[in-house]
Amino acid sequence: SAAARRPWKLFGAMCLLRLPRITQPLEKEEEEVAALMEQIELEKSLYSDHEMRKLEEEEQLKRKMESLYDEDEAHGKTVIMAQDLEEKWEQKFLQFKAAPRITDADKSNDRTSLNRKLDSNLMLLVKQKIGNQELWLLPQVEWQPGETLRSTAERAMATFLGDHIQAKVLGNAPYGIYKYKFPRAIRTENNVGAKVFFFKAFLQSSDLSQAELKADHLWVTKKELGDYLKSEYLKKVNRFLLD
Amino acid sequence: DALLAPHRSYRSRPTHGIGKFKYLLPKEPPKRRKERVQMKEISAGTEYQYGDINIQMTSYDLCLVEHFAQYVHRLCNRLSIRVNESYAMPTKTNEVLFLEERGSKMQLDAVLTTHQRVVQIRGLSSTFAPILLEIIQSNQPEGVHLLMKQHTEADFKSRLKSRPELEELLAEMS
Repeated sequence: SAAARRPWKLFGAMCLLRLPRITQPLEKEEEEVAALMEQIELEKSLYSDHEMRKLEEEEQLKRKMESLYDEDEAHGKTVIMAQDLEEKWEQKFLQFKAAPRITDADKSNDRTSLNRKLDSNLMLLVKQKIGNQELWLLPQVEWQPGETLRSTAERAMATFLGDHIQAKVLGNAPYGIYKYKFPRAIRTENNVGAKVFFFKAFLQSSDLSQAELKADHLWVTKKELGDYLKSEYLKKVNRFLLD
Repeated sequence: DALLAPHRSYRSRPTHGIGKFKYLLPKEPPKRRKERVQMKEISAGTEYQYGDINIQMTSYDLCLVEHFAQYVHRLCNRLSIRVNESYAMPTKTNEVLFLEERGSKMQLDAVLTTHQRVVQIRGLSSTFAPILLEIIQSNQPEGVHLLMKQHTEADFKSRLKSRPELEELLAEMS
């Protein structure tokens, strides 16, 4: 094919997101509203079956204390009283321990682990060599003619994380584009600059033990992206990131 | 005299039937009781459009599920995606029995109700679908399972009740 070769080089980059596992903590106003609504609901609500039963049994106990009224009433019924059930449930609840929301990785600020920041999105950043510089980028790989851009992005993911990752790519259309021109020294007629197309994927499983990590990698939230990426690149990437 | 008389105008009076207007309106066809079953549209080509898609939300907590379904519905309204229907599937009750066998055998019961809400959407363009999916996924409340699938006839039939007498008669006939 002797078509005129375009002067831009094409790259496909993959933005791998790990979805949050816990909900974010409520804001101050949200907490106040939630408390108010709970109080309103409590005041408006009626007694449930369990509470009615409890009240009846309390009355029966009182009557038992005062007079010998117990002979006819309910000899088989009050084997297990509602109060006992409640106490049993409370004990069970105290035995239950919820997993901690702030994990060890949070405390040590270890950015290579996936257990950090369970309430926000984490993105994969990889150190790559472009031209002469080593930069922190979203994993990208050059496009080969004959393959779709989406498969380029999947290949990029595979080169950095190994083949067996369970990630779900969202759609065939790219989410963002970043184009830059090469510095004058390297520029030729055929190579004016490069365009990077970004794709998004969700990480399905959080188990990366099978992944072969070939280069330095980091899992970063949206706010911490600014520490690593260059400003122009960062601007384009921020456009398609939801928080 | 018609003003002083009680509000009902008698048949002998000239004011009988003074407020009638229904004879002026165009005639409507009588309402049928059965619903039309299938309205599918899958168009292939460069411009992809999904046909009917069901977004199913299941959870044990009723308020959460309902509010989330409302949120999804309003979101689709704002994004001008056509919502065909938004309905609820019948709730399933599960009884959980613990059999503790230390000492005295006790059975603790817990009754769990599973609620399901479905929002049916049509005309979702494939460039927009992943964005919508991401928005809904990132706004999912805790304890709510999300499922997006295409609408099939089986889904529609699951809403209808089975008629055992009709089935018996059909079996006898054939």
